[in-house]
Amino acid sequence: MIKKILFFCISVWFLSALLFFISRLAPGDPLVSYYGERAEKMSVKEREWAEEQLGLDEPIFVQYIRWLENAIHGNFGISYKYKMDVVEVIGARIGNTLILGGIGFVLIFGLAMVLGILCAWYEDRLPDRIICQIGTVTSCIPEFWLSLLLILIFAVNLRWLPSSGAYAVGEADNIESRFRHLILPMTVVVTGHLWYYAYMIRNRILEEVRADYVLLARAKGLRRRSVMFRHCLRNVMPAYLSIMAISVPHILGGTYIVEMVFSYPGIGTLLYESARYKDYNLLMLLGILSGIAVIFCNMLSQIINEKIDPRMKADDAVREVEGR
Amino acid sequence: MSSLLEIQNLSISFHTPRGEIEAVRNISFSLSEGEVLAVVGESGCGKSVMCKGIMKLLPACAQIKSGRILVNGKDITGYGEREMCNLRGSFFSMIFQNPMTALNPTMPVGRQIGEAVKQKQPGISKKALQERVLELMQLVGIDSPKERMKLYPHHFSGGMRQRSVMAIALAGNPRILFADEPTTALDVTIQAQILDLLREVQQKLGTATIFVTHDMGAVARVADRVAVMYAGKIVEIGTAEEIFYDPRHPYTWGLMQSLPAFSRGKETLHTIPGMPPTLIHPPKGDAFACRNEYALAIDYEEEPPMFPVTDTHYAATWLLDARAPKVTAPVGRGRK
Amino acid sequence: MSAEMGKEILLDVQHLSYHFPLTKKMEIKAVDDVSFKIRKREIFGLVGESGCGKSTLARCIMNVYKSKGGSIFYKGLNVCDAGTFRKNQKMLQTSRQMIFQDSDSSLNQRMKVCDIITEPLKIQHITPKRGSMRAEAEFQMYYVGLDAAYLDKYPGELSGGQRQRVAIARALAMEPELLVADEPIASLDVSIQAQIVNLFKHLQKEHGFSFLFIAHDLAMVEFLCDRVGVMYRGKLVEVAKAGDLFGDPRHPYTKALLSAIPVPDPVIERARKRIEFDEKDFCCEGTLVEISPEHFVLERGKEG
Repeated sequence: MIKKILFFCISVWFLSALLFFISRLAPGDPLVSYYGERAEKMSVKEREWAEEQLGLDEPIFVQYIRWLENAIHGNFGISYKYKMDVVEVIGARIGNTLILGGIGFVLIFGLAMVLGILCAWYEDRLPDRIICQIGTVTSCIPEFWLSLLLILIFAVNLRWLPSSGAYAVGEADNIESRFRHLILPMTVVVTGHLWYYAYMIRNRILEEVRADYVLLARAKGLRRRSVMFRHCLRNVMPAYLSIMAISVPHILGGTYIVEMVFSYPGIGTLLYESARYKDYNLLMLLGILSGIAVIFCNMLSQIINEKIDPRMKADDAVREVEGR
Repeated sequence: MSSLLEIQNLSISFHTPRGEIEAVRNISFSLSEGEVLAVVGESGCGKSVMCKGIMKLLPACAQIKSGRILVNGKDITGYGEREMCNLRGSFFSMIFQNPMTALNPTMPVGRQIGEAVKQKQPGISKKALQERVLELMQLVGIDSPKERMKLYPHHFSGGMRQRSVMAIALAGNPRILFADEPTTALDVTIQAQILDLLREVQQKLGTATIFVTHDMGAVARVADRVAVMYAGKIVEIGTAEEIFYDPRHPYTWGLMQSLPAFSRGKETLHTIPGMPPTLIHPPKGDAFACRNEYALAIDYEEEPPMFPVTDTHYAATWLLDARAPKVTAPVGRGRK
Repeated sequence: MSAEMGKEILLDVQHLSYHFPLTKKMEIKAVDDVSFKIRKREIFGLVGESGCGKSTLARCIMNVYKSKGGSIFYKGLNVCDAGTFRKNQKMLQTSRQMIFQDSDSSLNQRMKVCDIITEPLKIQHITPKRGSMRAEAEFQMYYVGLDAAYLDKYPGELSGGQRQRVAIARALAMEPELLVADEPIASLDVSIQAQIVNLFKHLQKEHGFSFLFIAHDLAMVEFLCDRVGVMYRGKLVEVAKAGDLFGDPRHPYTKALLSAIPVPDPVIERARKRIEFDEKDFCCEGTLVEISPEHFVLERGKEG
């Protein structure tokens, strides 16, 4: 366990260094994000003064050490654009992303499970074929394109749903308004990922259905439904859980794109802006947070794999000895 | 003795992209209460398909083409999944070749046995269920069942797993037990133990058993009657004594001769030349003809019918026809 | 025959041990202080139940696993020693060949039979004796009783017995002096098993290689092998000439093992009593003691 925590810390540190240097080496002017239009009209003297104020005049390496020192004390600096502590900036937005990503996550895996079971139950018959066909076609549609299409149909032409934002102006606490704003982005997030996982569940279950123990379960008189739910699904679950954990960053990445297209005020839009306008401090914290999510989820899936499946324990060593 | 199971002219085919595989072709036999029938043959001869076909455990691409399956005189050929579920476990049950994969790896063994018990006694109390599970585990010779029932299959050795599978199969007090090569995947010593257990349980509970194997030695140990299968057909059937001491079909002779015990002290083992035919387009006439050193001209043209040797002993070979030349069997008592 | 077989020893395994670590504290002694010799032109059978370490032993002999103790002398060279192994690598890799149980996975499914057979020659840069690689492959195929038409097929198109013949042809293409076969007939049908065993017997006579035959089918071992070793829990418990071992087994485990072989005769078989072997009786300390010429039994202490 200590090994894992150590590994986690080292990964995060390595990530921060990488992020820091890459973001500073990339072209762009951070002063623009702080001073806006004014930055372009500044004289050389003024620029030097401004850079000194933001601590950008020192060598990159010194800057990094200083940032690291502050970060360890919980001070991640201020956002150039919002002139606020970056933690506050993110805190104001992260809720929106968690709602979109979290509900999306639950929906994706819930629906994928249902569809997967349905397909496996009707293997190679009509329902299975229809679901698989629809899945193949929809999963080929890029997310941004689908977003634009949905906006065009439901927001512009039919005027049923709003096209952007998280809630109507001044109605932050209105649940209905929030819900209406969520529908389109959520649809895109879910349809973008659903089919892949549904297909996976289907194939995993079918693999299990062909196993010998299913034959024994049927031979002892179990009905098909009991075999499917009590035996097959049970054996699919560990793998499914670990894949759920791995897929968190994947789905997170998907929501970032969707947020941008729908101008949904979440982490995704923030990340895009900060990268574009060189809002260094904001970019660093966002990058590290996303990175932590990725690393943490991967470790979680590893742990799930080891702990849940009773077969994983010391079994490999024994099998090796038996030589078969 | 009344006949518990009667198979009449059963044919089973698989529909595959490569064509129709006639896995079981026109099989008839009957099984009496409490008797052990061994079905012997090489892999791919249809012996295991026949068992699964009777229990309707075959995949969707398999189809019973013709024939009838009678259970206590009742025709179950047309039964659907729901009706079969009621028969499975309580009337017939099955144990499989590979005990390593036949148990669900993520469920404690005791629970898997309990599941089978519950299937037949849905309202059973928790305590009674546990007692029944322990009783079953003791019946199949698993020591300290109380501790072991909570363990997962991977804690068990191969022999122990096969015992657990037997406990599951016997949970519903079935009248017929299909044993599909139950000892093939096990070590010699464990094989012997499982064979003895099979015989012991069979005598204790009076369960009729269909024992599928390719090991003639194992057959000699447990079988009352023996059916020899080749290319989807039963080519010879009779009591164990008749088959071992007075075999009539050349394929049975070949099987006996390829046993190393038969060639002791010789330079080479006796072999049956060639390979079994594929069953996609079974050859015309006797399927064994091209591997048969005693083949007659008619074997290539017409399938031999079952010739009776005695009341219990039948063999499908033209050699038994009145017009055929007399051939002395190279094995069995006729030789000694 | 035995006089001609001579006393020349090809393989000499001395106090070989191999352990699989399970956890930091526990380990499995897969092979535990095993010593035996294989002479030139001899078929040595190794029997035992699964998990007794016979496959591990074979892999140690083939330098697949690095042994954790003891030594293996092949033609007088200690192949456990890394330096010696490297110096004689080519000779060791060509003159020792192995055949596996599962011909399904031991042959590359994506390679044609012809390439499978000649690949070892290409790897070792050996010029084929019969002109071209193709001719060499054809010759080997003929030798193991397969039609040359199979050369352009993939292993998936062949039956189990045919695949095992291809595996044998591949091993023989190197003209080995030691052939190690790990359960080569276990996954085959009865009538095909007999064909392969006959082939082994015939080839061994023609080529004169030494042959380590690992199996759990005792009847086949009795038929094929000159000498037999019985393994139990990583230990060699009895070594003797096949006739002596099967006729007069001494170790209780060997007795139990032999009594487990069913006799294909219903009347005798049903009446026969088996000898049970209680694993608690097994003493893991002890040495092989020669009780009669060439018949060694594991006994506790020197006096027994």
